[in-house]
Amino acid sequence: MAAFAQLVIIGLLAGGIYAAVGVGFGLVWGVLNIVNLAHGALVIIGAYLTWQMFAVWGVDPFLTLPIDAIALFVLGYAVQRGVINRIIRAPLLFTFLLTFGLNLIAVNVLLLIFKSDFRSVTTAYSGAGLELGGLVIPYIRLAALGIALVMAAVLAILLSRTRVGLAIQAVGSDRDAAQLVGIDLRHAYAVTFGLGAAVAGVAGGMIAMIQAITPTAGEPYTLQAFVVVILGGLGRVSATVVGGLVFGLVEAFGQSIPGSGSVFANAIAFGVMVLILVTRPQGLMGRLR
Amino acid sequence: MKTRILTLLAVAGVVALACGSSSNQGATGSTIVLGAPLGLTGSLTKESALTKQGYDLWLDWINKQGGINVNGTKHPVTIKYYDDTSNANQSAVLMQKLITEDKANFLLGPYGSASTATDAAIAEQNQIPMVEANGAAQSIFNQGYKYTFGVLSPANKYLQGVLDMAATLNPKPTTIAMLSADDNFSLEVAQGIIDYAPTKGMQVVLYKKYKNGATALTAEVQAAKAANPDILLNSGHLAEAIAINKAAKEQKLNAKIFAYSVGPSTPDFITSLGKDADYVYDGSQWTPQVKYTADFYLSVADYVAAYKAKYPSEGAPDYHVAESTAACLALQRAIENAKSLDPKKVRDALAALDVTTFYGKIKFDSRGINVYKPMVVEQIQNGQHHTVFPADVADKQAMYPTPGWDQR
Amino acid sequence: MIGMPASRTWNRIFVALAMAVIAYAVLAPLSSLDVLQSLGMPLLTDKLWFRLATITAMFVVMASAWNIIGGLTGYAAFGNVAFFGIGAYTVGMLITKARWPFLLALPLAPAAAAVFAVLIGLPLLRLRGHYFAVASLGVGVAVGELVQNVDFRGEPLFGGASGLFLPILAVPNRDLYFFYLMLAAAAVSIGVTWAVLRSRFGYGLIAIRENEEAAAVIGVNTTAYKVAAFALAAALTGLAGGVFAQWNVFIDQENSFPIGYNVEMILMALLGGTGTVFGPAAGAVVLQLLIQFLSGSLPITLQIPFVPDDAMPVLAQVVLGVLLTLVVVFAPRGVIDFFGGRSALSIAYLRRSLRETSI
Repeated sequence: MAAFAQLVIIGLLAGGIYAAVGVGFGLVWGVLNIVNLAHGALVIIGAYLTWQMFAVWGVDPFLTLPIDAIALFVLGYAVQRGVINRIIRAPLLFTFLLTFGLNLIAVNVLLLIFKSDFRSVTTAYSGAGLELGGLVIPYIRLAALGIALVMAAVLAILLSRTRVGLAIQAVGSDRDAAQLVGIDLRHAYAVTFGLGAAVAGVAGGMIAMIQAITPTAGEPYTLQAFVVVILGGLGRVSATVVGGLVFGLVEAFGQSIPGSGSVFANAIAFGVMVLILVTRPQGLMGRLR
Repeated sequence: MKTRILTLLAVAGVVALACGSSSNQGATGSTIVLGAPLGLTGSLTKESALTKQGYDLWLDWINKQGGINVNGTKHPVTIKYYDDTSNANQSAVLMQKLITEDKANFLLGPYGSASTATDAAIAEQNQIPMVEANGAAQSIFNQGYKYTFGVLSPANKYLQGVLDMAATLNPKPTTIAMLSADDNFSLEVAQGIIDYAPTKGMQVVLYKKYKNGATALTAEVQAAKAANPDILLNSGHLAEAIAINKAAKEQKLNAKIFAYSVGPSTPDFITSLGKDADYVYDGSQWTPQVKYTADFYLSVADYVAAYKAKYPSEGAPDYHVAESTAACLALQRAIENAKSLDPKKVRDALAALDVTTFYGKIKFDSRGINVYKPMVVEQIQNGQHHTVFPADVADKQAMYPTPGWDQR
Repeated sequence: MIGMPASRTWNRIFVALAMAVIAYAVLAPLSSLDVLQSLGMPLLTDKLWFRLATITAMFVVMASAWNIIGGLTGYAAFGNVAFFGIGAYTVGMLITKARWPFLLALPLAPAAAAVFAVLIGLPLLRLRGHYFAVASLGVGVAVGELVQNVDFRGEPLFGGASGLFLPILAVPNRDLYFFYLMLAAAAVSIGVTWAVLRSRFGYGLIAIRENEEAAAVIGVNTTAYKVAAFALAAALTGLAGGVFAQWNVFIDQENSFPIGYNVEMILMALLGGTGTVFGPAAGAVVLQLLIQFLSGSLPITLQIPFVPDDAMPVLAQVVLGVLLTLVVVFAPRGVIDFFGGRSALSIAYLRRSLRETSI
């Protein structure tokens, strides 16, 4: 029983990170119809920003997260406005080709700047945690889960309650109608992508605290973001959060299968995803669109 | 600062000696071209960079000597590198480019087992010797290929030294949890332990495989903790070793010995984990403290000094660097012994090679792998690498048992 | 736009260029035959030429095959590498475990891939758009993982992590043999695309791409058509995998199921122009040559002044990214759009396509 409870905790805590990575990916996908293959690169840029501020200037990593968000928002806004907006009316797969190119640029520029050395943010409180009746809850992962949930909630409120958010939603459901009612499409698109990048940056900052990073460390996260968004259902922030948590749980329980079971963690996660897609294409939480 | 100046002086001395001995030689022969495709971009960039350092260190030295001595004629050496973007199929293309267009006389190995296996097949079809230093999986050497040689001790030996050491400790640890990545090298390391543990009176209480390259390994470590082992062994790579160590601290898995196959020997392990890296052991092909008497090239101390002078930001060389240099040394001595640049003659000379270098003995069995060099055990103590086993090369006692995470 | 003199000129240049490339690819290898060598024929192809040409032909197969399901039918398959791997492992297993001769084993590679495609296609092809893309990606990842890790009575069923080492095939002119084999697979892929586009089947697929509900209404059996297209793509990709296994001698999960190939084959088809007969092939040749140029394996190499040697490979990757970005931004209908003679390459064309796709 204790082992079961511990696995649930491990899965949920890992799921918080997956949710944080997935939310930005899902927002950009759902609203802009862009499958952003450079998403993992944005995550790792955030991770390197946090590492740089911590290791070189001695800033506490949690204090760097807002800076990650701002920096990545600016970067994301600029990339969308300057580059991706230029092909937004092209056939769908072309955004995919474009973001593949952007990913290649980002990863290799990181490699030029930071080299291939493994970096990690290790603070005095790294690895420390709560112990409750034999169950272990590491502080950093708990905080990361909390931040992921808060961030998702803020994003959801932003989208449903503010002018800019409603504009984004309008763009997502009907681009031409949105333009007719006077929404500045270029700006709305860029803000959406910027928000997605900002969330990715914060996720990256937290990832730098829990694992070692290299310039190529973001690529697995792009793959996972796909699964997380589909699991939850495209188009709603809350659904992506559920998708992330479910993915974390599936992974943890997959890994707990004795013997060689855990090498099938990906196969299991993707298998669950395919099963959900086939039986419930709108995702666990999604609505049919 | 002071140590750096001393190091520089030491290297200057070595260089001066080297120049002195080479200046009176006469004829200069054609340039010998060596080549290697490496993952200079992509997922294997770190390991490939270490490999390249090892090759380049030897290259500088041999050219200061005037080159490789073939029958009294000195042939200068160049090494051509290409970026295979960490992709095995691209590695094969570049291997062929080296052989066909660059007219590489001999080949050095790439990094990664898929690349090494693919390139071994190419070397075989072109009958050009390849000496590799980064593929310890024995499956490559069981194919009957005649042109591939590996200077490493084979994979199954990687962590056996840790058990040899553990058997001498008091109180003797008896239970082992074995975690392993699912690539062929790591699985051979793990299988080596499973076969070897009973002979040392130890029991493998848990064996779990995980996905190669995984960074979310908390659930694996949790399973290991449930088995309550005296020894936690991991066979994987740097990224997984860091992930396992972080998870062990989070989950408060308190083993008496933490030992990982690959990872702790690199400076990145210590810089990433800080003092949490302390007490961790690794099975190592080589350490800067080994005490071999070199037949040629540099002594161990001079090698370390030369490395620090060329790469001042990197600290001491780890075994990836040393084994890569050793591959060059094997090739150099084989060419000298063959008294020829003919690939077949050099291949035969490699097969007959028996030398001791700063890296230890280099001698190949009939399959082409160096089974004659022992592995050593390293431990990180107060942020420094120290050799702790076997006793005749150790510079420190093992700090045993590892204190619990709460008592550090 | 056809009929504009400028574009007709481009069309002619393109056709002439393509014919020259094909003639060179087909005829040049013959110069390596002993008979012609002994007659003093200069050697036009060395071992490097063969390796580059064979791998390029392999990508022509994969991009053309993807085009059948992705370009004609409009289902963006992201996991076609699974078929490549299944083809490779079918040949690998039959040769290493059952001791079959290569040429007997090879036909089973496309067959196995096609059967697998039918099995997964039936549920997967009910999904649309992105959902199908992600599900097929999942299948691609999972199959590779299973092949590497499935044990049977404690022994790896498919060679496990050590992979499979095939015996080096003893045929005269081995390089030439494998190149022509792969070239034949490429020709078959292009020929099949051509035939499909001219058939009732092809019209059905295009109808599905344009509007699946409408296609069903006019009497297209959409499920059968989609599954057949998927199986056709799988068979061709599996054929390439089967040749690859014996050509490369060593196969394992890493080189037979490289996730990156999923992206590369789509990039190639998009670059050349999806839905066309020759577009994906042209895209494969162009992108493969670009990749090889940047990694330094062609006779001409990239030179950038003032860049240290160590930084060159990394910079080459940045250059590749920038080039892809520029192509997408300025010519988002694929290079074939102007090479193929549909429109002329000019500043006006670039500006127009930029205006058409941006907001």
